[in-house]
Amino acid sequence: MMMLLNVAGQLDPSDSKRHITYGFQLDQPAAIMRIRFAYWPKLLEDDGQAMELIMESIDSYVAPEHQGPVREGWRRYLPLKNLITLSMDGPNGYRGACHRHDAEQSLFLSEQEASEGLMPGKLALGEWNVTLSVHAVVTERCSYDLSIWTEEADTA
Amino acid sequence: MRWLASELHTHTFHSDGRQSLRELAAGAAKLGFDCIALTDHNTMSGLGECELVQQETGVVIIPGMEWTTFHGHMVTMGLQNFVDWRKAGRSDIHEGISMVHGQGGLAGMAHPFRIGSPVCTGCYWEYEISDWNDLDYIEVWSGTFASIKPENQRAFALWTERLNDGIRIAATSGRDWHEQKHTDEPLSVTYLGLDDEPGTISQQAVRALAQGRASVTIGPLITMEAENGGTLYGIGESVSVHNGADLITLHVKIDFFVRRTLWELPEQDFSLKIMGNSGTLAQCAAGSTDQIYEFSIPADGLIWARAELWGIVKGMRTMVAFTNAIYIG
Repeated sequence: MMMLLNVAGQLDPSDSKRHITYGFQLDQPAAIMRIRFAYWPKLLEDDGQAMELIMESIDSYVAPEHQGPVREGWRRYLPLKNLITLSMDGPNGYRGACHRHDAEQSLFLSEQEASEGLMPGKLALGEWNVTLSVHAVVTERCSYDLSIWTEEADTA
Repeated sequence: MRWLASELHTHTFHSDGRQSLRELAAGAAKLGFDCIALTDHNTMSGLGECELVQQETGVVIIPGMEWTTFHGHMVTMGLQNFVDWRKAGRSDIHEGISMVHGQGGLAGMAHPFRIGSPVCTGCYWEYEISDWNDLDYIEVWSGTFASIKPENQRAFALWTERLNDGIRIAATSGRDWHEQKHTDEPLSVTYLGLDDEPGTISQQAVRALAQGRASVTIGPLITMEAENGGTLYGIGESVSVHNGADLITLHVKIDFFVRRTLWELPEQDFSLKIMGNSGTLAQCAAGSTDQIYEFSIPADGLIWARAELWGIVKGMRTMVAFTNAIYIG
């Protein structure tokens, strides 16, 4: 096993709509690249705060003449969620994205197979990038950690 | 012309869907769809099994990808190569669209008025559009029983405004289909009119959408042809008019036999409307049998026309079907 990237970070609502990209180097041939990504909390538990954010959304995005009933039904948008998605780029191009709501993801890439969202293919030596796309942070703080390492085939 | 019953907005396990491509395509076949576009969020990895699933289910699969970005969701389809969705800022979506076009793909707005951040980041379209000619289509009906939803009515009105501005842009429906779950709500179908030019059916379908040869419905298929000076023009085409005094004849066909066992509408007199840039151009009652209706419309000042079928669905008066526009001049 060889660790390629091991980072942690803290986000707040001002980080919403921001991409965070980490570069790392793959110097030695490897059979499998593994990625573990987790962020927390996932949900905004405080309904009062959620209601405020939902009302702001309704103000911005719902036509004035339809706002009344949508406001009344605001609870249908609960719970509000933090959402961070992950995408990968290898030396030879894009390797896919994992756009889903799981707050903990264990992913892998290899020549023959890959986790859903990612594309199998040669693990080319050189500069790789992993991008965290912060779609929304609705909690005061949101922490994440991200590790990427390689393994040999017999540990697959 | 062969009209391909299509579902143009779908997701699988490769993004946030809860179905495999095989389950999706099998479900689409059961619902009488001939074709689906796989439009997972920001990835095309789900297309790995595309050929096999196409053979197994008989459902044509259009390769696509939804640009799920912070400022809008844009459906792309028919591309040869990946185009990076992460680069576009709010004011430069046109660069992204032109790269999509450069790879032979089409770009459409997905559900442009769905509530945005933080309920659903990017679901509401906030990219600045400086030239509407760049976009190929607007998904004006999103979700199930789409016609009654206020956000879809806004999208439909947006499309009509653009047509009034002289823009030639198509309109589609897309369920934004994430899982195999039964619903009693009406499902929309986008029928794509295939030409006889070379290519796979998937390529013909993409070309049909590029040329605006599309008709959207929750039941019967309505198609339209315009006749002027002895020449016939189909949906998406442009009628040449030499004299403002010309009368254009529109032939509107309603086909109640498409996917016949898969939808149900109460027996009634529907209302068939011809709409154009000056509003309602003509209107008549239409029964629930196959028929061709003819209208003579003065060409003077007319820049587009479409047919709409209205009726009572689940107790509500609503639009049942609409054609894309035929353009004039």
